Amino acid sequence: MDIFLTLFINGLSEGALIFLVSSGLAIILGLMGVVNFAHGALFVWGGYAYVWIYQMTNSFILGILAAMLIVFILGIIFEKFFVSRLYGNAPAQILITLGLNIVFIEIIRLIWGNTPIAIKKPDFISGTTIINGVTISHYRILLIIIGISVLIIVNYILKNSKTGMVIRAGVQRSDMVQALGINIRLYFTIVFAAGAALAGLGGALYAPLAGNVISTAGANNQILAFIAIVIGGLGNFSGTAKASFLLGLMNAFVAWFIPSFAVVTNVLVMAIVLAFKPEGLFSEGRKSILRLAVKK
Amino acid sequence: MKSLREHIQRDFSKNVIIALSVLLIALLIFPKFSSYTMLNLLTRIFVISVFAMSYDILRGYMGFINLGHAVYFGGGAYVAGILYNKLGTTIPVFILSIAVVVLYSVICALVMGKLSFKKGTSVFAAAMLTLALAEVVRNIAESWRDVTNGTDGLIFKVPSILSNRIFFYYFSLIFLIVMFIILRKFILSPTGRVIIAIRENEQRAEFLGFRIENYKLIAILVSGVSAGLAGLVFGTFNRFANTELLSITYSTNALLYTLIGGTGTLYGGIVGSIVVNVFQNMLLNLRSIHPIFERWLIFLGILYIAVILFMPKGIVGTLRHFIENRKVKSDNEKSSKTEKAPGE
Repeated sequence: MDIFLTLFINGLSEGALIFLVSSGLAIILGLMGVVNFAHGALFVWGGYAYVWIYQMTNSFILGILAAMLIVFILGIIFEKFFVSRLYGNAPAQILITLGLNIVFIEIIRLIWGNTPIAIKKPDFISGTTIINGVTISHYRILLIIIGISVLIIVNYILKNSKTGMVIRAGVQRSDMVQALGINIRLYFTIVFAAGAALAGLGGALYAPLAGNVISTAGANNQILAFIAIVIGGLGNFSGTAKASFLLGLMNAFVAWFIPSFAVVTNVLVMAIVLAFKPEGLFSEGRKSILRLAVKK
Repeated sequence: MKSLREHIQRDFSKNVIIALSVLLIALLIFPKFSSYTMLNLLTRIFVISVFAMSYDILRGYMGFINLGHAVYFGGGAYVAGILYNKLGTTIPVFILSIAVVVLYSVICALVMGKLSFKKGTSVFAAAMLTLALAEVVRNIAESWRDVTNGTDGLIFKVPSILSNRIFFYYFSLIFLIVMFIILRKFILSPTGRVIIAIRENEQRAEFLGFRIENYKLIAILVSGVSAGLAGLVFGTFNRFANTELLSITYSTNALLYTLIGGTGTLYGGIVGSIVVNVFQNMLLNLRSIHPIFERWLIFLGILYIAVILFMPKGIVGTLRHFIENRKVKSDNEKSSKTEKAPGE
């Protein structure tokens, strides 16, 4: 029973991490219809930025904020100079983000080298609590809390705020929204950068959990995030959240009980979902507003 | 056959044929005068060209982004290495490895095609699926240490005649020419025409009564088998296979070659392979000048982004466009001259 609880918490925290990466992707894909293959690079940039600032200031909060800020700026650059030229051309978007991914991962290797940089969890959160023989890592609890707060906040913004409304309208009729005097391009840039910042947050939180940061971490997490998106339904935000937690839990349990099977489970699940329910496991039946954008 | 001839006439004017023959003769006598480094570079270009062309069948002629194309390439190299290590380095084993590679590629292509060409699968989901499948194969190669030697990579010996660099140079040149002719015939065949039609307008092709999924499967089979063979030759050339050959890096490399050369042209793969490999070689030589050239991939990445943004048709596509424009212009001038003539 104890092991179940431990695995459950590990799975949830891993799911929260996957969610942080995939949520950015889901926002960018769902709202703007852009498939961002540079997300892994943004994730790793978040990790390195966190490590860099953390080693300088020794402050966890500052490190996280700096990581998000740096990746936010990167997101602005990506959108303004590259992605914005190719709206409506999905294959070209995939290609250009792949190119950006290559370049920005290489830049990391240029600056910080190709070897992993070890990083410890900050002291105040590195402890564990033992309840009834179950060891609970504080850091994992923090991950779960952050993941769920991000889920609630982003969901609220998408559904209720004016920003969400403008973007949803802008995806359907950008000319009309512009005629109302709204600078839709600015909104697109900010959405892209916000999605990027979420990836940065994921990278920053991932580094202390993994104990090190390395330039190849981006690719693996990007694949996980993509799998979560496909399982959850393209551009379906809450579906992506559910899928992320499902993946996290599944990974934790499979890795414990059938370790040799761990690598292929995610892909297998994705293949099964695509084969039998290509619209995603958690699609709500009705046309979600988010998914309209992808269809377009 | 008529359309084939028309095509040959369109692409190969008399001057081009002369130029190509000169190039071929130059390539044939090249080993007499060159260093081993240059010879190796050219051999590499020949083999990579086939890989790039196989990718062009999917990307250029079918409009499909395959992020798992390395499965065939790396798989081919691994099959060769494993068979040489287990069965010995003789020519029959080499021939056997060709058969095994074809079989392996067919199986991979069938799985990949069946999954990603299902109806309702978007471009993105299909690309993801291919990427994920490639990751599975790479992970298998990494964890099956007894056979593949894991992440250390597999070192193997090849039949002695194939380890002769000059022989291998000719071998890969012939390989390139043969594969080019086969792939070109395939594209010009009725099947190839249908595949292009699907790229242009999938719905219309379907309404015309073509079972598009079958045609897509044929395309990925052809493409996969040629990439597998390229991998086999590449592995035999390097006498080494590692998991990087199976990684997304190699899939995006294939994408890079076709994009830079020009998609949907078949020559584009060759041109792209030449440009990228020569460029890469130059950058690697510059390493002694400044350490930034250690990370030559940055420059390739920038080149790649620039091509997508400013030259989406690639080198061959842009050249073709330019030549066609000039032809139209000169035709116009001719016709305007003839119009003028009666007036004078």
